[in-house]
Amino acid sequence: MIRRVTGAAAAAVLLAGLAACGGGSEEGGAGSATELTYWMFQDRTPQAGEVVEKIRTDFEKANPGVKVNIVKIPKDDYNTKLGSALAGNTVPDVGILDQPLVSRFAQEGTIKEVPAGTLNEADFWEGALNTNKVGGKLYGFPIDHTAVALFYNKALVPTPPKTWDELKSISAGIHQKDPKVAGIVVPKGDGYGAWMWPGVVGGNGGQMVDEANKKILFDQPQAVEALQLWVDLLPSSPREITDSDQAFANGLAGMMISGPWDVATIKDQFPDLDFSVAPLPYKTTPAGNIGGENAVVFTKGKNEALAWKWLQHLTNATNNTTLAQALGGFPVNKEAAERDAATFGEQQQAFLEQLKVAQARPAIPQWIQINDEIIAPALESALSGKMTAQESLTDAANKTRALLGWNS
Amino acid sequence: MASPVVAQRPAETPPGPGRRRRPGVGRRDHLIGWLLIAPALVYFIIFLLYPALAALYYSFTEWDLHSAPIWVGLQNYTDLFFDDVKYPHFWKSIQVTLQYTLVAVPLTLIAALGQALLINAIRRGSNLFRLLLFLPVVTAEAAVGAIWRWLYDPQYGLVNAVLGLVGIPRQNWLNTPELVIPALAFIAAWQCGISMIIYLAGLKSIPESIREAAVIDGAGPVQRFFKVIVPMLRPTTFYLVVTGIIAALQVFGLVYVIFSGGGNRSVTGGPEQSGLAYVLHIYLYAFRYNAMGAACAMSFILLVFIMIITFVQFKFMKQEAS
Repeated sequence: MIRRVTGAAAAAVLLAGLAACGGGSEEGGAGSATELTYWMFQDRTPQAGEVVEKIRTDFEKANPGVKVNIVKIPKDDYNTKLGSALAGNTVPDVGILDQPLVSRFAQEGTIKEVPAGTLNEADFWEGALNTNKVGGKLYGFPIDHTAVALFYNKALVPTPPKTWDELKSISAGIHQKDPKVAGIVVPKGDGYGAWMWPGVVGGNGGQMVDEANKKILFDQPQAVEALQLWVDLLPSSPREITDSDQAFANGLAGMMISGPWDVATIKDQFPDLDFSVAPLPYKTTPAGNIGGENAVVFTKGKNEALAWKWLQHLTNATNNTTLAQALGGFPVNKEAAERDAATFGEQQQAFLEQLKVAQARPAIPQWIQINDEIIAPALESALSGKMTAQESLTDAANKTRALLGWNS
Repeated sequence: MASPVVAQRPAETPPGPGRRRRPGVGRRDHLIGWLLIAPALVYFIIFLLYPALAALYYSFTEWDLHSAPIWVGLQNYTDLFFDDVKYPHFWKSIQVTLQYTLVAVPLTLIAALGQALLINAIRRGSNLFRLLLFLPVVTAEAAVGAIWRWLYDPQYGLVNAVLGLVGIPRQNWLNTPELVIPALAFIAAWQCGISMIIYLAGLKSIPESIREAAVIDGAGPVQRFFKVIVPMLRPTTFYLVVTGIIAALQVFGLVYVIFSGGGNRSVTGGPEQSGLAYVLHIYLYAFRYNAMGAACAMSFILLVFIMIITFVQFKFMKQEAS
């Protein structure tokens, strides 16, 4: 038994060694080519591999002697790997960076400012572009952008709600008709829920913070009402139904709030589900959150000029639509977006609408921590009934003020 | 991150009778000895000792991984313990981890001993059962997490279905703060294969004569279990308790997968931080909030805590078979 295990282990080591050699010789074959290393998230759509590969070969054809090494890393591990790489001085030349990290990296000097003349601001949607700005300066290219919107099951929701009141009454109606079905999957008090919530606050005319005047605003009535909306939806949307895996796709919930990546997944795995997507219901003003991918050039990387050229290539009118779709988002290049609007499916139109009113996250270096450690637990306290919405948000706002050293 | 090394110094063996040392070979033996342990030594220095010392240094700094570390002395430590604005869930993560350890370790040992007794009792097919019961150990953590997310599903989960048969109402296991730790501990107990194998070896080493003597003295199975088997297994149990507590205090992979497996969900440690294991908390500060200095300090607090706990166990727990 032991001998067999040893044999298997030896074989595994040998294989790994061979694989490593194989990789090595391939790289060696490239010879004197200038190599550019680009880090991106692991593919999230079926077509992503092909699309990225085509964009890469096009770039290499247009730039003889250049080789682009694309390194794909699962999104969950990306920041961990990037952090280690930066600490160990093995940074990529250019790579994807989470929107909320841009401000922190820019202030540290980890990433380069976009040189004048590299990017024409008028070519890009403003919301997406702003996620790259820190103190008025531009530190990256938007690659694609995305937002959340309201998914609805057409069998349960014939016309999607436009306002908060309609949302509440439709949700109640669904659950009343069949107690086994929930009205809507109410987001949770976790980091993900806290990322979506500002879109709801915006729908009531509220804001999370006023950065310029160093004011926390998410304890104001607009935000408190936005949290109260989620609390009010819970009786018609019990957690024991919506916590089930894929509750919406399985027909156990009439609505859910999610992003465009779920459109492809649901169509693929639940072809029978008749659903569509509508913009988020609002109270006073249409609004939404924004997410998506930015790409930056690392200070410690090499081949800076080539790196900016590569980012121009990813975001030009020719490539940006297919790339953004492959990444599960929407083009940031206006020309590409307007030209290709019709090629987006029926379900995607709502996101295009939503992105017009999307608001960038606060450009505060500690924002991820505030989002996860302070706002998320506050949402959870209110949703679980431990505190009222006002109590939990007042508490969270005070904690955030203390953390940031802001007075109001 | 520091992973504690429980090094056991091998007992010095006196030179065997009849073995004579040949003069002049000692030095070369010495060299060969060093050569033989060199791979392990190099591994230990590069991957364990150096990172541990580096982490100790960084624990006295404020470091975001990207720019140069700034020396802050003991501030990370004092802030962790006393500043609940900067580290709002530090104490919560300690509480969660202790609770988990208190539930998971006994549950794992009971499951392991139970399985070992059953396997020891059957005459045929014990190899097959041993394999089946050991499988959860060699299954990838990510797969384990995904499978148990389905098993605990509030609507379609097998766990609720089985409990339903005996009239226990459906539970929302992974989303009810009070149920998260029992649910996680149950998974740990399901993965008790290694402890089971060690117990099995312990059982095999109990001399048959003792069992027979007990039978002749008129001891029933229950009495035999408590008066013979349990005391005879005491060294095994001691070893499993010590290593089990060390492992439980460092639980991470499972919690990480269970509460983030959906991809879009971000890891904040389950409902109301009820599954925020200490090491997950370290991970969040190290890699999500870019506070590597504080994370290193937390690692060292854990290391010291584990050393104290282990010391106390060695001091106060019965280790010898009786």
